[in-house]
Amino acid sequence: MTLPKGFGSGGSSGGTSADVERMIGRRVENMTGMITLAYLAAWLATFGGTAAGYFYYPWAYPTHSGHFAFIVLTIIETIGYIFCVKVMEEGTRKNTNVRTGVVIAGVAVGTLYISMYVGW
Amino acid sequence: MAQMPALIPKEVEIQRLKKIWLMIIALGSIAASVEVDNFVDGSLHQTSIRDSAFTPAHWWLYSHFVALPLGWGACAIYDRKVPILRGPNNSINTGLKMTILGYLATMFTIGINEMWHFWFVEEIFAVPNHWMFNMGVVVAFMGALAYVVRIYARLVELGAETPGENPYIAEMYKMALEGKLYSRAIP
Repeated sequence: MTLPKGFGSGGSSGGTSADVERMIGRRVENMTGMITLAYLAAWLATFGGTAAGYFYYPWAYPTHSGHFAFIVLTIIETIGYIFCVKVMEEGTRKNTNVRTGVVIAGVAVGTLYISMYVGW
Repeated sequence: MAQMPALIPKEVEIQRLKKIWLMIIALGSIAASVEVDNFVDGSLHQTSIRDSAFTPAHWWLYSHFVALPLGWGACAIYDRKVPILRGPNNSINTGLKMTILGYLATMFTIGINEMWHFWFVEEIFAVPNHWMFNMGVVVAFMGALAYVVRIYARLVELGAETPGENPYIAEMYKMALEGKLYSRAIP
């Protein structure tokens, strides 16, 4: 197989596995830390967004509605997070199920706490 | 299913397809969030007169309608690294094109909508300025489906995903790989 310009030893001999690794760059199975941080950032942003509603516009956005939206969006984000981590690690030896489980459990507890005690 | 010719090493292609997959999951979550806000915004408009464009439900809706075309545009930039995803005559993938155009339509409709509401304050769902929000999203979803199925079909073909057991689904993957999921005439 002919590799793109700049890869391989030149000519039509193809590339080595080092060339292939260089083309790949950071492998997706090693991105789960970044995915986890992105998930937590999205969750906190969701809290911030809904809190802006019930703290600054309580006449239009009652706390009940804000928490309902917060819970629904947290579920959407969690499904996306699980999907991302599982797809990125499938077919490899990487396994971060424990970390994923702990993060999701933490978010679940945080969501419950916020829904029960914040904004009332 | 006939094996499509590979122009880049298999492992590289799998990794790149999965990076696109990551972007699509994030953009899909944003699209789901827009659907939630559809209800939030609708409920606000049923309970209060539109006094301002700058309500939290509008920040939520409009910021997402800006983020979606930009995000799919980023996807289109990265998409060029995967030869199998190219559209006819080495152009942008047709499904991706539809998605970007659909979301761009919603983005520009923000302005059209605000102009309309400068004169007409009532928030009636069926007014023409709202049509393009809904049509844009539908076009975008259709395009995104074609694009997602094509990526998944390629991952199946490369052995990175499990093939569908249902023969109709398998046929859909085959059509998607040939770029003919929606039309046999236009790839």
